[in-house]
Amino acid sequence: MIDIHSITKTFAGGIIVLNDVSLTIRSGELLALLGPSGSGKTTLLRIIAGLEKPDRGAIHFDATDATRLSARERQVGFVFQHYALFRHMTVFENIAFGLEARPRASRPDKGEIRRRVEQLLELVQIGFLADRYPSQLSGGQRQRVALARALAIEPKLLLLDEPFGALDAKVRRDLRRWLRHLHDTLGITGVFVTHDQEEAMEVADRVVVMNQGRIEQADTPTRIYDHPASAFVYQFLGNVNTLACRVVHGVVETEVGLTLPVAEYATLPEVPGNLFIRPHDLELTPVDHPGSFPVILEHQAVLGASVRLDLRALSGQRLEAELTRARHNQLTLQRGDRIGVRPLRAQLYLAGDVPAAAFGNHQGREIVPLDP
Amino acid sequence: MSPRRADLPFLSNRSELLSEPLWVRLLLLTLALTFLGGFLFLPLFVVFGEALAQGFAFYFATLRTPDAQSAIGLTLLVALVAIPCNLLFGVSAAWAIAKFRFPGRALLLTLIDLPFSVSPVVAGLIFILMFGAQGWATPLLRPFDVKIVFAVPGIILATLFVTFPFIARELIPLMEEQGVEDEESALMLGASGWQTFWRVTLPNVRYGLMYGVLLCNARAMGEFGAVSVISGHIRGLTNTMPLHVEVLYNEYEFVAAFAVASLLTILALVTLGVKNVLQWRYRDQLQAAEH
Repeated sequence: MIDIHSITKTFAGGIIVLNDVSLTIRSGELLALLGPSGSGKTTLLRIIAGLEKPDRGAIHFDATDATRLSARERQVGFVFQHYALFRHMTVFENIAFGLEARPRASRPDKGEIRRRVEQLLELVQIGFLADRYPSQLSGGQRQRVALARALAIEPKLLLLDEPFGALDAKVRRDLRRWLRHLHDTLGITGVFVTHDQEEAMEVADRVVVMNQGRIEQADTPTRIYDHPASAFVYQFLGNVNTLACRVVHGVVETEVGLTLPVAEYATLPEVPGNLFIRPHDLELTPVDHPGSFPVILEHQAVLGASVRLDLRALSGQRLEAELTRARHNQLTLQRGDRIGVRPLRAQLYLAGDVPAAAFGNHQGREIVPLDP
Repeated sequence: MSPRRADLPFLSNRSELLSEPLWVRLLLLTLALTFLGGFLFLPLFVVFGEALAQGFAFYFATLRTPDAQSAIGLTLLVALVAIPCNLLFGVSAAWAIAKFRFPGRALLLTLIDLPFSVSPVVAGLIFILMFGAQGWATPLLRPFDVKIVFAVPGIILATLFVTFPFIARELIPLMEEQGVEDEESALMLGASGWQTFWRVTLPNVRYGLMYGVLLCNARAMGEFGAVSVISGHIRGLTNTMPLHVEVLYNEYEFVAAFAVASLLTILALVTLGVKNVLQWRYRDQLQAAEH
């Protein structure tokens, strides 16, 4: 178990990269650090590795305080974003490096090193590349070499910085399934950094969403998607329509003409906020259908199994809706059509400076309008 | 262009569209070749022509005179001292500058360039002012009975100063381009700083390093200005090959002068040849450094 306690890190120029971050990584889990660039996820990873020193806070590996341990002493496997393979060494030599660098007393003999490297080459399925140089490999193959090299030192913890960032889409998808499989085979604790929410949701046991040096939410992919802890998390995970709104005595009022009742906020006089609606939660209705608001269809794009509609509300705001092909086929939609839409689900977040006591917490409230 | 050509795009070949008319190209080519021939190849032929004007026997005889032998020996000695010193300094300076951030880094970077910007004559004068008869450092050295000005140590010092930037300058952009990921990677794999340096950092720049040594050697052997000021031109003692050429030339011993000069020319040609081989071998590293 790795316990990260109140880590703060400031870069030159006073930029706070990590602001009082605490996180517990359970043994054997595969954890994703997800966030936009500049959210501090890579810095957190490098601090766990020992490549950066935190200004404040502590890291414990099980019972040992690792805060002051150097990267070398931590015995953590690290896969760099651009692999950082040693270009003058063959694949075999690259993987053997960690074993050969050990002090004489703990270094395995030549035969043992050879056996171990061959095992690893087998594990990452690139045995036939042993004598090649990194420059002769494809991106996906380099990634596998980097992984085998990191695993050679038998780390208890494996850290991966944007492991699929430099690969094309197809290889990416294959490799991330393979990585998940490899993780399950080895039972090692893994942490990887990504800015791709789909990647994080697909591969990780738990996802840590980061923003501006803070952890917004750390939870399983399902819970993060279904119960986002903040407006940021909601927006960061997938497409979303954002409607500026006001909550007046228990009614959400938007500029597009949509109103929704929220009984809990009946005591609040008038609070600004944001209403989020996912594109697939917008249902098409006839114009003037109760509970709907009118929009104009500006564009429709068929994306395989679904169809994306670009809509414009009367207020000028643009919205996106997503339908299945089957539903789309039922409706005969023309560009410029006036139609109605209504949210099947919406998420409401009130502006940050509303006193928390007024409604318990800052978290958003899910609104499921009743079918009128 | 005629409208018919425009209708048939496959007829309009790219080079015709994008380049100057034929006569302009020919003129430029002729100019370039004439210049190259006149200023580069002609002198080369003149040097060897003059050196061999009285036959091979005389050529080798002049190279075998004690003064010529001493000049060749001194030049080799100077290069032999200057290269290892600058190798050590150049690698450490490049390593520190490229891989670490520390106060005074920018100053060090500027200082490394200093010998490039100072005239070699001034460089020689600096050492005279320091170690000459009235020099401020002279009293300090008196107890050790070391003579610097008009002696071999002075020549070595001046050469060291002049050739100081070559290796460092070659390595810094290369190392900066390569970044620290490889080193961090080695560290994560449990390598010590020493192992990382020898097994990762140094091999990553080996061709650049060889290239730097080559340039450093060429300059160390060919340096005239700084060495001329500090050597005192004592025949058989403080004359390097370039100085010896001058002495012989001033004494109207043209064949002998050109014979020694031809050795320096051969050095230059060998340097060029090796440089091209290295450039070809380490084109990947060079490209990386140029970005």
